[in-house]
Amino acid sequence: MCNLPIKVVCRANAEYMSPSGKVPFIHVGNQVVSELGPIVQFVKAKGHSLSDGLDEVQKAEMKAYMELVNNMLLTAELYLQWCDDATVGEITLARYGSPYPWPLNHILAYQKQWEVKRKMKAIGWGNKTLDQVLEDVDQCCQALSQRLGTQPYFFNKHLNIWKFTVHVLSKSGLENFEHYFTIMPTELDALVFGHLYTILTTQMTNDELSEKVKNYSNLLAFCRRIEQHYFGKGSSSIRLS
Amino acid sequence: MEHKSPSPAPTASSGVQGSPLSGCPDSPRRGGLRILPPFGRHLWIRRRPPSPEALGSAPRRFQAASRAWTSRALLTASPGSRPGSAEREGGGSTQWRAEAQGEVLPGQRAGKMAAPMELFCWSGGWGLPSVDLDSLAVLTYARFTGAPLKVHKITNPWRSPSGTLPALRTSHGEVISVPHKIITHLRKEKYNADYDLSARQGADTLAFMSLLEEKLLPVLIHTFWVDAKNYVEVTRKWYAEAMPFPLNFFLPGRMQRQYMERLQLLCGEHRPEDEEELEKELYQEARECLTLLSQRLGSQKFFFGDAPASLDAFVFSYLALLQQAKLPSGKLQAHLRGLHNLCAYCTHILSLYFPWEGAEAPPPRQTPANPETEEEPYRRRNQILTVLAGLAAMAGYALLSGIVSIQRAPHARAPGTQALGMAEEDEEE
Repeated sequence: MCNLPIKVVCRANAEYMSPSGKVPFIHVGNQVVSELGPIVQFVKAKGHSLSDGLDEVQKAEMKAYMELVNNMLLTAELYLQWCDDATVGEITLARYGSPYPWPLNHILAYQKQWEVKRKMKAIGWGNKTLDQVLEDVDQCCQALSQRLGTQPYFFNKHLNIWKFTVHVLSKSGLENFEHYFTIMPTELDALVFGHLYTILTTQMTNDELSEKVKNYSNLLAFCRRIEQHYFGKGSSSIRLS
Repeated sequence: MEHKSPSPAPTASSGVQGSPLSGCPDSPRRGGLRILPPFGRHLWIRRRPPSPEALGSAPRRFQAASRAWTSRALLTASPGSRPGSAEREGGGSTQWRAEAQGEVLPGQRAGKMAAPMELFCWSGGWGLPSVDLDSLAVLTYARFTGAPLKVHKITNPWRSPSGTLPALRTSHGEVISVPHKIITHLRKEKYNADYDLSARQGADTLAFMSLLEEKLLPVLIHTFWVDAKNYVEVTRKWYAEAMPFPLNFFLPGRMQRQYMERLQLLCGEHRPEDEEELEKELYQEARECLTLLSQRLGSQKFFFGDAPASLDAFVFSYLALLQQAKLPSGKLQAHLRGLHNLCAYCTHILSLYFPWEGAEAPPPRQTPANPETEEEPYRRRNQILTVLAGLAAMAGYALLSGIVSIQRAPHARAPGTQALGMAEEDEEE
């Protein structure tokens, strides 16, 4: 969305390479920055930002919604992957341990599972059943859907400072104020797209999670739109089963 | 809030907006018997204060009656359900009148004899109704909605039905101990503070609650339980003094270990050398979060207009703890004090919904100058009494064990000394 040239590299030991133990991380020159928050700040320090045109209240809302997504969607994904026995047995253990030889694949997979379960317990999700988790995801999607409404992105009409400055400098007057507002995506759009796209396109034994998301047509349209606009795919890989 | 006349039309048009948070699949209540104004001073003026639990239970339910619950509920609503709800409303209005006479307890619906709900929570201190974050949030929410709860303020978590505090024992006897679930249950029982929120505001509530949990909660835990000075001087002191013997020896320590573990898992694994950096980062994010909250609140009385919602309950519990507790090292406290609208917001809610708790605070503050002088005479008296008691004990032991015996001579010449002298002679012999 910022038009930055990147190369995506997939490595098995990505988690260990990252300075905080979490993926994704970027390697720029001799700096390594991990996790979305610090990456966004790093990119902002270099002069690229998507949320400059937002006012303070909107920025507050954006941060709050990003936390909501992190809190609910991310945790639900982790839960489904690691705490739901059916999925764990069939997909996750095999997938997580696939780059390693036996017995390392089993050991690392179980270790990761134990870590995730401990974290779930700490935040109070340890005793939740799958249905309750799905209910939470549904609430989260409902909130996102209502916030998005019929707009193309979550925050619209933020001031395009460049256009505004040019116009003022050219002394053309301040008519057509609408002209200065552009519809641009923000970090929230990127985050939501990332999670929803993953949920929609990853095949699991249990499709209920993606079903919950598919209930909201504006979220689906949002994902398709971003996919086609920024990832240049002719046909969407989001299937409506 | 404007008055709405009872008619089916407003429901249909306003039914499109629904709060996503009310999980009750009940049929929508109709008719706007919105006679009573929203929460606040009006409530105090109009009705002489009855029991605290009776605060405004009626107006909330009547406000509830004027709009549909959720979009889902609206879809499932059928015309046949309306007469039923009208009946309940009729019952409700008589209840309100009866309640104004102080006879019927709110919450006891006409004809249903259900046991009142009981809430067990940590007792109050530092000028607050409760010192625990979750208990305070639940209590505040209950006050906002006027839910008729029997509140048990206890200091022994083992006394509560679930072993942890806060805990709610519902009218059917089941026990809920997760704060969010307690609030959901209250909503199901028709005590819903989010009823008047639009869908968008409901979504905002979820988002801001996540923000609070991710950014403010770790720092609050750190401030109260991990920071050594605060823990020893404020938190542990309060809990050790409040808990009964022998719990006060090991329970605060155990709670601290639990909180530290929780904090560690919340923040992820960080190497010990980075602890200071981690602390700085955490506090930085918390300060940002407070500033964001302040910007969102602006100059409004509550986050969503003039009536409090569940988000207000949570925000209040976080901020009140930070503001009221006298922390020796309160970096975040200093930042909070700089955000005047948040401070005013806290004091406003405290004075409105917990007026008697606030009254407890001033007297301790006035007496700090005196305790020493007051203790002095007591101390002196205690010392003298102790010495006398010691002397009496020694004398008694001496007499009883025969070291010193007082024999009365047949003719009392010089009874005291002579007798003693004879006794000593006997002993020497």
